[in-house]
Amino acid sequence: MTAKTEAMSMKERQDRRFINRETQTAARYLRRLRELPGAPEGIEPFYRTLGRIYADMEHVESEGRKVIGTYCVMTPPELVYAAGAMPVKLCSGDYTAFSVGDDIVPRDACPLVKAVAGFKQTGLMPVYEDCSMMVVPITCDCKKKIAGMLSDKCDIMTLHVPTSRDDEDIEEFIRQLYVLMEKLESVIGSRITYESLSEAFRRVGYAQYELSEFIRLKKKTPYLIRGSHAMAIMNSASYMPADVWGRALHKVNESLKKSIAENKTVTAKRLPRILLTGSPIVFPNIKIPLLVEESGGIVAGDETCMGERGMWDPAVITDNSFDGMMYALANRALRPCPCPTFADNTQRIYRLKQLVKENQIQGVIYHVLRGCLVYDFEYKRIEDELGRIGVPVIRLESDYNEEDIEQLRIRIEAFIELIKLKQPAEKASFQRRSFLK
Amino acid sequence: MKSKRKIIITIAVCLGLAALAYFAWLFPFYQFESNDFETSLQKLMSWEYIKTLVPLFIIAGLAAAGIVLVIILRKILAKNSRKKTRFADVRTSIPKGRAPKQKPALFMAVRWIIMIAFAFIMIWGGLIFGLKMSSMSIPVLSCPWNTEQMTESSCYYLAHLNELFELPWYSIIAFVVSTFGFTILLGRAICGFLCPMGLIQDIMDRIRRRSKAEGIKMNEKMYGALTPIKWCLVIIFIGLCFAGGNFCNFCPAVATSPILAGISTSLYVSGFIMVLVLMGGFFKRRAFCTVCPLGTIMGFFHRFSLFRIKKDCQSCTECGACYEACPMGIKTIYTERGKTDVTTESCIMCGECIKCCPEDNALSMTFAGKKIYTSSRKKIMSGYAPDKNGREEK
Repeated sequence: MTAKTEAMSMKERQDRRFINRETQTAARYLRRLRELPGAPEGIEPFYRTLGRIYADMEHVESEGRKVIGTYCVMTPPELVYAAGAMPVKLCSGDYTAFSVGDDIVPRDACPLVKAVAGFKQTGLMPVYEDCSMMVVPITCDCKKKIAGMLSDKCDIMTLHVPTSRDDEDIEEFIRQLYVLMEKLESVIGSRITYESLSEAFRRVGYAQYELSEFIRLKKKTPYLIRGSHAMAIMNSASYMPADVWGRALHKVNESLKKSIAENKTVTAKRLPRILLTGSPIVFPNIKIPLLVEESGGIVAGDETCMGERGMWDPAVITDNSFDGMMYALANRALRPCPCPTFADNTQRIYRLKQLVKENQIQGVIYHVLRGCLVYDFEYKRIEDELGRIGVPVIRLESDYNEEDIEQLRIRIEAFIELIKLKQPAEKASFQRRSFLK
Repeated sequence: MKSKRKIIITIAVCLGLAALAYFAWLFPFYQFESNDFETSLQKLMSWEYIKTLVPLFIIAGLAAAGIVLVIILRKILAKNSRKKTRFADVRTSIPKGRAPKQKPALFMAVRWIIMIAFAFIMIWGGLIFGLKMSSMSIPVLSCPWNTEQMTESSCYYLAHLNELFELPWYSIIAFVVSTFGFTILLGRAICGFLCPMGLIQDIMDRIRRRSKAEGIKMNEKMYGALTPIKWCLVIIFIGLCFAGGNFCNFCPAVATSPILAGISTSLYVSGFIMVLVLMGGFFKRRAFCTVCPLGTIMGFFHRFSLFRIKKDCQSCTECGACYEACPMGIKTIYTERGKTDVTTESCIMCGECIKCCPEDNALSMTFAGKKIYTSSRKKIMSGYAPDKNGREEK
């Protein structure tokens, strides 16, 4: 009897310790984000959402709807909205959950999956507990196995992601979307109709409308917003209904437009422009963008799937029948997606070159989460290709803990110094210009 | 084994088409008591005109019945096929609500106006404005049996090359110069902007979009299967006259403009083919254009055309929306990564790819080097923009 209560209290103690550590880490990173100068007006709702989910460990504001957990960009949020639920992206960046998950899954698994496993083990995170069902696209081996692990907790639907993007692969993916649709209907107890699907398209489309406006403003030089703030905005899209997120982003866009009119920029200095690509960067694991901007760089481009890339591509309806809309969803999920899960992913290089050109990128940080093999595989080729157009690339491997932070800081500072050294002429001319003013 | 069967089927279809074209006069669709090639504005007003229109009503009726039949059949068949169960679902049959749509593009409006105006001219133009331009030939599938069309259509003499050389020499020169001139200057933009057959198919496609019925999605394999049939039709088109046949008895274009102009023309196989063209155009946008022999011949000259589709490969994200939208199934438009000019022999310049492209300046159409239509993200997302008192305040 006493042994049992002791065991119970030990579990309780563990839980309390987990909650303490989790909320503290999240609050610390949120504070660092807030301390970073140059945040636009109207960013507060996004901080609040991240704070709610991670620092306060509260439920998602789902407006009374059921919550469906999703992973990866291949799950079409439109279908979930059409079924009358709210999708939440569960890819996690939590350090505390990672340390729990480290004992459950193999050592070489990626930290993102370890964090998911950790949350599952503790059963304390409301976002995970709220989910009526989880949709897991099988984009890598880790995702495949975590789908199996999660299945004893709630309904799981795996989406088989093909290895190429031919017509037949898309046909196959559509068939899976129809299966997903039926499963969603049975879990939520509603019916996806032409009407509800079009309404879902409008909802997500509005968010994408504001996002394209936001990215258009973000491209402007001198820059109006820091990459870390943009990352926080993008990350919080996972936990907000698309239209609420879109309206909040609309306010940010308005304030950015106002700062153009007032000629107000983030900083007067000319900072090296960095592009961030590679493995997903999820709150609270935003140490890399924070380090870049604390060391005097600016994250001007973002090609990570929890960042801008994840929502950038709209589903273009070329045929307005029900099947046509499903086709648009499948097409959007596979064809423009530069996820390394596809065998031939040359288009990612073109995408990166496009971002380099549009954002006048001076250096690329290739972020690899330890154990994220698919992203690591593509590093070599991207380094070669970008080297050919004279853009330096640095590979940063990191894990979900704060032990490597100093090492990362040294490397990032060195990389930024290297870029600064490369552009003496421009810098001089800039100073002269400001002097003349 | 499977490929062998495929080859045999293809050869059988081609031979069947050739035989059908050759013996077309044996299969009457609708025969008038006497073919009356005289028409006038008075005739268009009279009761007689309605009588000449009878075959058109029959064609429209048959096509409508065929479309309904296909939809019902698909529903029944889909129930038993695991692959296609989605078509059997009820939710596809009672569509309510409106799918999001981008704001109409100026280019598309201009294209429709030109198409309708040209079809009008080709059908009734001669009666109203006279036949001053009839020495000019445009390579377009508008039937020259309609003697009252404003300009001549090249298709007759292209399909009857043996008769061409019996003409006086100045007519031959006028024919060759105008036909080649238009082909080289405009290329297959003629298909997208001028062709009345194209207009009919676009109208069918509009009807389907309105009814929100499911179309038939063509994939690469299906387009590949159509290629030999397309080439077979080209050979039939050019060669039939030398073998002693008459392509006009086979051509679907006979079934529209002469009859609408008040000329009672007996229809043979063309009538049946027109029914198929209408049905095809309903389920797959511009279905006939993918096998049109005249268009294929015009496609040979796509390198010279003043209309070009340009691509900025840097901006492309390979999202494939252009390929999805393309009625001709041109895949290179989204896979191309080097060239800026992506005009291909089957491109009809309908501008659909540019309309659906979500990247700024990734695709554009140029005429003689000047950009006339450019893709833009703003236009794509315009359907989602918050209205003045709509979503924003909700």
